[in-house]
Amino acid sequence: MNLLRKNANMIRELAWSDFKLKYYGSFLGLLWSFLRPVFMLGILYLVFYSFFKVNVEHYVWFLLIGIVFWNFFSDATKDGMQNIVSKAHILKNINISPLIIVISSLLQSFLTFMITLIVLFLILFAFGFYPTASFFLFWFYVALTTILVLGTLLVTIPLSARFKDFGHLWDIFLQMLFWMTPIVYSESLVPASYIKWYLLNPLSRVIMDARTTILYHAFPDPKQIFITLGIVSLILLLGCVIFKRFGKTLTEEL
Amino acid sequence: MIETSHISKRYIIPHEKKMTAVETAIGYLKHTVTYEPFFALQDITFRVESGEAVGVMGKNGSGKTTLLKILSGIISPSEGTYSLKGSVAPFFSLGVGFHHELTARENIYLYGALLGIPRERITEREKTIFAFAGVERFRDTKLKHFSSGMVSRLAFALMIQTDSDIFLLDELFSTGDKDFVPQSLSVLEAYKNKGKTIVLASHDLDLLNRHCSRSMLLHEGRLIDFGKTEEVIQHYIKL
Repeated sequence: MNLLRKNANMIRELAWSDFKLKYYGSFLGLLWSFLRPVFMLGILYLVFYSFFKVNVEHYVWFLLIGIVFWNFFSDATKDGMQNIVSKAHILKNINISPLIIVISSLLQSFLTFMITLIVLFLILFAFGFYPTASFFLFWFYVALTTILVLGTLLVTIPLSARFKDFGHLWDIFLQMLFWMTPIVYSESLVPASYIKWYLLNPLSRVIMDARTTILYHAFPDPKQIFITLGIVSLILLLGCVIFKRFGKTLTEEL
Repeated sequence: MIETSHISKRYIIPHEKKMTAVETAIGYLKHTVTYEPFFALQDITFRVESGEAVGVMGKNGSGKTTLLKILSGIISPSEGTYSLKGSVAPFFSLGVGFHHELTARENIYLYGALLGIPRERITEREKTIFAFAGVERFRDTKLKHFSSGMVSRLAFALMIQTDSDIFLLDELFSTGDKDFVPQSLSVLEAYKNKGKTIVLASHDLDLLNRHCSRSMLLHEGRLIDFGKTEEVIQHYIKL
């Protein structure tokens, strides 16, 4: 915490310049961050709604919320690994903690996530989904997802610095995770014998409950909220342990 | 003040055995791939007083950069301890945080943040920085359109805005033109007069002779000489 306060300026500058570099200078700029999910939505909607005839209430919005959360998780983890490599020369020449790179990378991804969320809400409101009391809980899930991403980054970044092919493994893992998460389909399709395992995936839990708060204006089961909180805390704890163990020599591995 | 006590840095290099790829793979499975320790630095002990300017010389691969990186805290020693009195500014390469797609102005804020310079101080000294670097007209030009000399000058102008007590410099003056090198050296002299501690690693023996009263000589990871710069240079030449 002390480290964050002392280096707030550095973290902010790094995140902001990365954010700028990612979006400006290109013709469509920030619009890209919306266009990608929109195209993804279009394709998945066509395939699963028109071809497979998925039977889910408010399927477009159901899908859109899933995609927005998923993109945050997958982009943030991929960007994080890329970031540590592209900032290797900084780490090797200036005495800064690798944790600063992790946090600034997370912050930059979070900024994109927030902007897509704002656009998502504008669209939802335009289509008549007005916020109710459960809307506040939605932000709890946003925070939880961010912590989940942080925990994941603390694990993947040291590993990607140590093993050069970790990025490929992570790509495969993400592909598997995409289909193991109720993004395009509803969790009700998962056979009862698998559901226990299926629900260990924190991303599934977060997406399911976030949808509940927005689309169905309901409050998720408090017991489930605590389980989700527990799983996310466990991942964060694992991240802290791994980062503590490998963070010190990370710069030398790059 | 800088004090080190028996610092060593050990790296592990895999043994090169003449094996085919298959054998290598089997070797990994059987754990027969052997490793050999390599000492980039071995048993380094010295003391530099506050306000001293000390040179570091040695052939390529003698451990100069490793030593400076350990002192700056970027890498940690395998053995031994060191202590520094005051804050450290490592200047190992000019403009490490610079990004070519950003403008000069954006870059000084980014790089300044990396060097730990508060934003307000940069705003306050923006003019001075650009004037020192001689690139006032190109404030809002993207760095990719700068010549490498201009980039170095801008980076140096920014670096000297840090308020550190100890400056670690590694072969910094190789890219400046005829005016810039003396200009930056005069800054160095000013720092010396202010009582800052400077450790300067360089292959430019003349430069070391002029600016450092004492120098150390590294050879194959060991500190083989530490004394008056002139004498150490004689030792180095005979090496």
